[in-house]
Amino acid sequence: MGLLTRTTETAPCEITISHRFDELSAHCKFLNGAVVHPGDTVEVDGPELMAPYGQVVSDTRTATITRASALERFWTRKTGDFEFMELCEFSFSEEVMS
Amino acid sequence: MNKPQHSAFAATAEEAIAAQEAAERAADLAGGMTSDEATQVAMQNTLLTPRFYTTDFDEMDAIDVTPVRSDWDKLIDQMKSDPNKGHFRKNDDWDADWDNMDPALKREFIDFLISSCTAEFSGCVLYKEMKRRGSNEDITTLFQLMARDEARHAGFINDTLREAGIRVNLGFLTQKKKYTYFRPKFIYYATYLSEKIGYARYITIFRHLEKHPEHRFHPIFQWFREWCNDEFSHGEAFALLLKTDPKLTSGVNRLWIKFFLTAVYSTMWVRDHQRPVFHEALGVEPTWYGQEVFRKTSEISTQVFPFTLDIDHPRWQPGLTRMEAASRQVAAAKARGGLGGLLSRVAGMAKAATAFVSVLTIPSVPNEVPESPRMEPAY
Repeated sequence: MGLLTRTTETAPCEITISHRFDELSAHCKFLNGAVVHPGDTVEVDGPELMAPYGQVVSDTRTATITRASALERFWTRKTGDFEFMELCEFSFSEEVMS
Repeated sequence: MNKPQHSAFAATAEEAIAAQEAAERAADLAGGMTSDEATQVAMQNTLLTPRFYTTDFDEMDAIDVTPVRSDWDKLIDQMKSDPNKGHFRKNDDWDADWDNMDPALKREFIDFLISSCTAEFSGCVLYKEMKRRGSNEDITTLFQLMARDEARHAGFINDTLREAGIRVNLGFLTQKKKYTYFRPKFIYYATYLSEKIGYARYITIFRHLEKHPEHRFHPIFQWFREWCNDEFSHGEAFALLLKTDPKLTSGVNRLWIKFFLTAVYSTMWVRDHQRPVFHEALGVEPTWYGQEVFRKTSEISTQVFPFTLDIDHPRWQPGLTRMEAASRQVAAAKARGGLGGLLSRVAGMAKAATAFVSVLTIPSVPNEVPESPRMEPAY
C-alpha cells in the first residue's frame, strides 16, 4: 500500500438478493476471504441483478476492489465518524418538499 | 441457487406460504398476471441507496458482556424466540386506498416509506457485515437477530410500496461503493439512539391514532405497536453494550453523547417540519410530535446516559426553529444556483451552525444511571 497510490485487485464474490414479503435484503460476500478497509471501493462486475418478487436469487460474480492509498485510509478513519447521521433512522429524506 | 447462509432465509412452510400469497396478491393487483409479469408493468423505479461502513472489528470482538450477562442472556433469548414472527402479515384490516389519496399526501407518505425502507435496509447491511466479520459469539448473535428483524421490516415496507406502484431497485449492489469508517463507539451511540427514537416515533403515532382513528389514512400505522417493540429490543441490546464499559458514558464521551443527541433530535425536528401534509393528515402538529418523541426518548435514555437534554429550555425550540428556517434557505439557494445562490447558501449554513451551537450549549439535566439498564416498552 503506497502513501498516495491506489492498487486494484479482484475477488470472487457471492451476491444474494431476497425480494420477498418476509425479507428484503441484499448482501455481497467475498469468497476468498478478502477484507474491505476504510476508503476502499468495491464494484461488482456484470449486469444488475434483481430477484423477481417472492424469490431469493444468488449469483457468483467477480468484484473489483480498489484499495485506498495510505493517506486516503487515514483520512477516512479520521473523518468517517462525522457521517454518523447516516446511521440514524429517520422517517424522511432530507429533501425539502414544501 | 446456492444454499442460503442466513437464518432469516430459513425456508419454513409458513414463510413459503406467505411468499406465495404475496406473489398471488401482486398478480391480482396486476389484473391476473403472474407476479413476474406484474413486475414488468411500468412501475416507478426507486433506487435504494444504503451506505457501506467498516469499523474496528477487533475492538468490537473484544467486548465482554460478562458485567451484564444475566440481562444480556435474557434479552437475546427473548429476541431468539422471535415474538414478532407472525406479526408482519396482512389481514382483513389492511384497507389501503392509494387511488383516493391526495397527491401531495401521497408524495410525502411515499417519501416516508422509502426513507424508512432504506433505513431498515441499511441497518440490515451493516448488521450482517458485522455478524460476518466478528468472531465474538455474543456480538455476532445479536447482529444476526437484528439483521433478521430489519430485513423483515424492509420486506413489509417494500410490499406496501409495491401496492402504490413503486418498485425498489437494488442496483446499488453492482454499483461502485465506497466504504467509510466508524469507530465502534460511534456505532453504539448512533444505533442506540436511532433504535430508541424509532420506537418513540412509532409508538407516539400509534397511540395518537388509537385516540383519533379518523386520521389513520393508511393501514400500515396499525402495525406500528409490535413493530416498534423490535426497535425497542435492539436499543436494549445497545444499552447493555454501553454498560459493559463505564468509559463509554463518562469523560470526553459525555461530550460526544451530547453532540449525538443534539444532532439527532434537531435533524428529526427539521425533517418533520418539512412534511406538513403528512402530519396534517395524521392530525399531528409537528412541534408537539417532536417534543413528545424527545420526551419519551430522553426518559428511556436515562437507562444509560448520565444526562438528558433540556428540551424545555427557552433556547431549545427557538434554536430548532432557526435551524429549520436555515435549512429551507440552503435548499432554496441550492435550487437557485449562481453566485447569488452560493452566497445565500453559505449564509444559510452559517445560520444553521449558529443555531446548532446555541442548542448544543444549553446545560444538560444530570441523571443518576441505574445499576441495571433493562426496560420494557411502556408507552
